[in-house]
Amino acid sequence: MAYVATRGGERAIEQSERLFREEMGGFDRDRVEEVKKSLPYLIDRVMGEASLYDEDLAALALAQTGGELYEAVLLLRAWRTTQPRLQVAEPVEQDTLFTHRRISAAFKDIPGGQVLGPTLDYAHRILATDVLQGALYAPDPVEPADTPSPAYQPSVSAWQSENDLLDPPADDPTKSNNIPDLTREPLLFPSKRAHTLQSLARAETGGVLALGYAAMRGYGQAHPTVNELRLAEAEIAVTHPDGRQFSAGRVKVSQAEVVDKKGEKLSIGYAATFGWNEVKCIAAATLDLNSPGAEKGSATEEEFFLYHTEGVESSGFCIHFKLPHYVTFQSSLDAMRDAKAKKAAKAPEPSSSEAVGQTKSEPAE
Amino acid sequence: MLATPAPSPAETRDNAAFDALLWAMSRPGVPRDLPEPGEGTVITALLDRECLVYSADPLLMPEIMRTGAELADIDRADHVFLGAMTASDPLAAVAIGSDNYPDDGATVIVRASLGSGAAVRLTGPGIDGAVTVQLGGMPDGFWKARAARLRYPMGFDLFFVDGARAVGVPRSTNVEEM
Amino acid sequence: MSLSTLTKPWEAMSYGFLDGSAKRELRRKMLKSVAVPGCQMPYASREVPMARGWGTGGLQVSLTLVNPQTCVKVIDQGADDSVNAASIRRFIAQVAGTPTTMDTLEADLIQSRHRIPEEILREDQVLVLQVPNPEPLRPVQPNMSIARQMHADADYGRMWLQLYEQIVRSGRVMQGASYPSLVNGRHVMTPSPIPRWDVPKLHMARHLTILSAGREKRIFAVPPYTRVEPLVFSDVPYKVEEHGHLTCTRSGTRGFFMNEIPQDDGSSAFEVSDSEWGVKTIRARDGDGESRGETWYKNGEMPQ
Repeated sequence: MAYVATRGGERAIEQSERLFREEMGGFDRDRVEEVKKSLPYLIDRVMGEASLYDEDLAALALAQTGGELYEAVLLLRAWRTTQPRLQVAEPVEQDTLFTHRRISAAFKDIPGGQVLGPTLDYAHRILATDVLQGALYAPDPVEPADTPSPAYQPSVSAWQSENDLLDPPADDPTKSNNIPDLTREPLLFPSKRAHTLQSLARAETGGVLALGYAAMRGYGQAHPTVNELRLAEAEIAVTHPDGRQFSAGRVKVSQAEVVDKKGEKLSIGYAATFGWNEVKCIAAATLDLNSPGAEKGSATEEEFFLYHTEGVESSGFCIHFKLPHYVTFQSSLDAMRDAKAKKAAKAPEPSSSEAVGQTKSEPAE
Repeated sequence: MLATPAPSPAETRDNAAFDALLWAMSRPGVPRDLPEPGEGTVITALLDRECLVYSADPLLMPEIMRTGAELADIDRADHVFLGAMTASDPLAAVAIGSDNYPDDGATVIVRASLGSGAAVRLTGPGIDGAVTVQLGGMPDGFWKARAARLRYPMGFDLFFVDGARAVGVPRSTNVEEM
Repeated sequence: MSLSTLTKPWEAMSYGFLDGSAKRELRRKMLKSVAVPGCQMPYASREVPMARGWGTGGLQVSLTLVNPQTCVKVIDQGADDSVNAASIRRFIAQVAGTPTTMDTLEADLIQSRHRIPEEILREDQVLVLQVPNPEPLRPVQPNMSIARQMHADADYGRMWLQLYEQIVRSGRVMQGASYPSLVNGRHVMTPSPIPRWDVPKLHMARHLTILSAGREKRIFAVPPYTRVEPLVFSDVPYKVEEHGHLTCTRSGTRGFFMNEIPQDDGSSAFEVSDSEWGVKTIRARDGDGESRGETWYKNGEMPQ
């Protein structure tokens, strides 16, 4: 009977979720719309990490989780995984990207021109506290240039390969339908190129930054120069069952090429993701640049950074330590006590300062 | 909260077929009933566009194609349908996986006549002691051809189908011809 | 080919949450994991509506296996009412309409974290164990690619060396739960973080055990009647936790794995970890009928 009384598990978890939601209250389409309009860069980040391009669903996920980013991404991933895969779009070529921003740190000017585009890079980071006093934050309108910059441009690496500064990656003849899909097959090592790029594309921004930054600070072998950073829109071309190709719309994408000198040629690292997320692309491309030949177990080794920047997995494992572990703990206690007793039996006056088990502890589970 | 979804007839059939296959693979030599006779439910329960399939029986092709699976040569196929075998040669070409990825060893489906013909004695995981089973209709040298390919944990896994009955013989099973 | 042949009528959710493609992949991998007992098979491991590390691997297996007739039991640390067990049970029942039970004997499928029930499982039952870390070699080799090669070569020397060093230092193997075990004489496997008490229950068992690590994307299995031998040296026998002599303060049952509850006076009280076994014992004591099945351990000992 005493046991039955403790069976409050079901009720407890229901009430804990209610408590969480009580603070935010209910929400409707209007709030979702407001989130979508006011937080486009957050929406972009979430769409990238979820590998699901849908601004409405991303805004919904943010509204539903109160902005708990890991939860929002998990919501979207769990939704995404149940959707049928109807079609695989045609590959997007770099020179077909409708470009909003494209800058290169490698050259003063580049074919197609530097296009500064939208950025906070040169904004002074002063908090607009007067808004809280009731002022309106009204940005000045953009003054269009006399001649618009070209919408479509080649990549900087294309020019470099033409000039024999860089060996371009070999053409991959894989038909779009047969491109390995990370969401349908496990990541194995050495990783398929498609898996590596997909994994980086949906990696957690902070995780990629942390490891990419470590590589930049000197824990990698290569030092990145931003060959090109681009914010763009990509046309999604799909094939109708009757054979005709049509556009299913445009999605915001960002990409980065980073290079380093390697003998007489440049080596290149690349990353791209859904949405506009410059930090993630530069950091991810830096990891990609550093990965060939990286030492096993180093932060720039593919297995190391792909596993550890997977946000849904890493955040889930991190919070799972909240779950009860008293069975495993009990099992360890038993081994410790027994070892202690054995030691006491052997040496009547044991030195109390000596640890019992000096072996490497078992990995956390 | 969404309402509990009801299983479609296809879901129910595939679930039952897999239940039989999992049971059969877990208890080598012990027959288990598929929801329908023939290879059809094995095909729909297991195959889709991620699979590479070889079929020696042209009659199974339409059903295999409907799953979206890609047809492949026998040595590249992850699922191999050999139908009623007349010679044991095809076993020489079936994929056995690699040291690192034994799971790339194929699943091979063969038509057999259970309870008649030559008996074999099976031992190994899934078997309490030993089990003797008659698997008729196998070509000469079938078990020798299997043994020649096994390099455990590399190897392939067999299902024998007779009507609606299926018997599994995974690569972990030792087979003695009686 | 038309769009309608590529897809199916829209539904808010597939039966059992996972779509057909996820289930078929899991089916294919489950068959391979049974065919090579104890060998870790990689799988895609879809996201499910639960956080990684919270039983998503076990959940994917359960969702693939169940149908509306499958009676499901879910436990965490031996208890049915543990909050995450309650959450998983509620989810499976919600998306698959399965009946649920707390009675080990009544269940067709048992999903568990860190325990195997004390009552002997039958041939027709399937045990699904949640696995946080599928790689028994990780303490000696954290790199998965190298560890995979070690399994391929049956290169378990460093594993043995680690155990040997522990014995030299501490007089015993210090491994608590997740005791590495040799399956079918070939693959070293982690039995998942079950206590050492539970590992012998896997050896030559009547039931099928499927172990699934969702976050790490690996699945492996122990078919019925399969050898599962903890790694030990011939002169240092395997030792389960010394719980055989302990008595549960709530139910009075004795000779099973216990939870230690620290007391204000500095002592410890013990409660049986398999909560349903405790309930059944109390029921029998109160004269509400005998519902206890046969147990693996008898008088606190595992019969050889």
